[in-house]
Amino acid sequence: MSTAGSSLGGMFSNRRLGRWTLNAFATLAFVFALLPLIFVTWLSFYEQEIPSFPPTGYSLQWYARAIANERFIDAFFLSAQVGLVATAIGLLVAIPASIALTRYAFTGRGAINNLLLMPLVIPGIVLGFSLYIFQVETTIATELPIMGSFWGLVFGHVLLVIPWSVRLITASLIGFDRTLEEAAMNLGADPFTAFRRVTVPGILPGIVAGAMFGFVSSFGNLEVSLFLVVPGQTTLPIAILQYLEWKIDPTIAAISVLQILIIIAAMLITDRFVRISRVV
Amino acid sequence: MSANAASRPKILTAAFLIGPATFIAALGVIGPMLYLLRYSFNQYDPMELMIETFTLSNYVEFFTSPYYLSAYLTTLRVGLISTVICLVAGFPLAYVLARSGSRFKNLMIIGIVVPLFVGNAVRAAGWMSFLGSRGLLSVTLMKLGFTDGPTDFMYTEGTVIVGIVAVNLPYMVLSLQSVLEGINRNVEEAAFSLGAPPLTMARRVLLPLALPGIAAGTILTFILAMNAYATPVLLGGPSFNMMAPLVYGQFQLNNWPGAAAVAFVLMATTLLLTILVAIITRQKFREG
Repeated sequence: MSTAGSSLGGMFSNRRLGRWTLNAFATLAFVFALLPLIFVTWLSFYEQEIPSFPPTGYSLQWYARAIANERFIDAFFLSAQVGLVATAIGLLVAIPASIALTRYAFTGRGAINNLLLMPLVIPGIVLGFSLYIFQVETTIATELPIMGSFWGLVFGHVLLVIPWSVRLITASLIGFDRTLEEAAMNLGADPFTAFRRVTVPGILPGIVAGAMFGFVSSFGNLEVSLFLVVPGQTTLPIAILQYLEWKIDPTIAAISVLQILIIIAAMLITDRFVRISRVV
Repeated sequence: MSANAASRPKILTAAFLIGPATFIAALGVIGPMLYLLRYSFNQYDPMELMIETFTLSNYVEFFTSPYYLSAYLTTLRVGLISTVICLVAGFPLAYVLARSGSRFKNLMIIGIVVPLFVGNAVRAAGWMSFLGSRGLLSVTLMKLGFTDGPTDFMYTEGTVIVGIVAVNLPYMVLSLQSVLEGINRNVEEAAFSLGAPPLTMARRVLLPLALPGIAAGTILTFILAMNAYATPVLLGGPSFNMMAPLVYGQFQLNNWPGAAAVAFVLMATTLLLTILVAIITRQKFREG
């Protein structure tokens, strides 16, 4: 009896120890993934320009420098512009495509679904390089100014937006109760009105999430842009990479923090519409 | 007859709805890939740049030149090591998240998702400030008396692995978490009540049940590690060579056929290893 009791007690302390170790390792992994963001934020507040530890003091001057740097401002606006246009086009084609994928049975549906998700699977650098070659060839063949143009870059980014939007919008369409549409049509709404007034509000979380993830993945894309940018122009990720290849200092850290803040804001906005944990 | 009459317009509607997206994706993926494949059989010439022909010389060159081979092996090694670390480090975190009923859970998930979308260059910047010769780590080691002078931890394979693990860990955690969440808590309790210590329970109950998530996470993180660009460029330095930087490097040297061949070797390798992992998991799943 007493041995049984002690072994039971031993088992419980064993489990408690297990839980403790588990939590410790989990915290460690969580902090590790956030560590680079913490360090870059810390560096952005250093007083001196040389990134040597410990800092002589703290200051906000690098943020002033960052937002006064024309190269980075131009890069930021190009990234934002490309991201917005690509997201708009991406949504415009992804919403109908998602409806077809979830509500119609046709041959090749699986293949088309895979094709639409493909740009997420192809290595960014390979996708960028192949698009560049393709644009060179089509420019030669058609004599249209495709290569190195704004729309050539946007096209590459639309490819990045489509998989995210299709994935998230089909997910919310699958969860949408179609009897609501039928009810609207029974009450006299034509199919388009029913879609606009009933379906769209119902799947809005999916559309918002698709737009946000699409925009963020376009905004942060480095590899595809690297091949497609207009000569003499850079997107923000390219500007950051090129600066870092040369040196690291608090100015680039401040720019990085601004980018992190934009992304956090986008995530928190998305989270108001859909739980992020359900999306990714 | 009426069924046919009804399905014809339906097919047309579906085609109308899905047409534009399919057109863009086909134009952006299939066309460029075919051109890339074709280019990889062309020949590079320092004077004329590219000669249209049909040769396997770029692929032969790849598998015989020590320069390309070492980049290939480095990429495989870094991919493998970082994936194993991600799996081991990611599992406890994924489990805690999956079993957490805390109201901070969603905030924690956001904390894991945010780094995913912050560019890799930005995260590399964080490591550069920490691991450089005047960074926190070097200075701390010096102050504690472990080292006499400043140590530069940058530009090594280890640094690149650290950077890639930090980049890929969130992907692994999210893949595992979604599967672990679906495992009924009672099976764990059953194992405990039968006297299994926590580690035995994890090994005999959780691991087999989580295998689909493990496979998904492993494949995803391995692909991402193999294709990493910004992290090896910034943390590995100019002389450190992995496949994705190699593609861009050859492109900049105007050796487009060579770059195309490297790109195809990279894609073929990832694809083959992905299929391999899928087959192994399916077999294990059947046995288990």
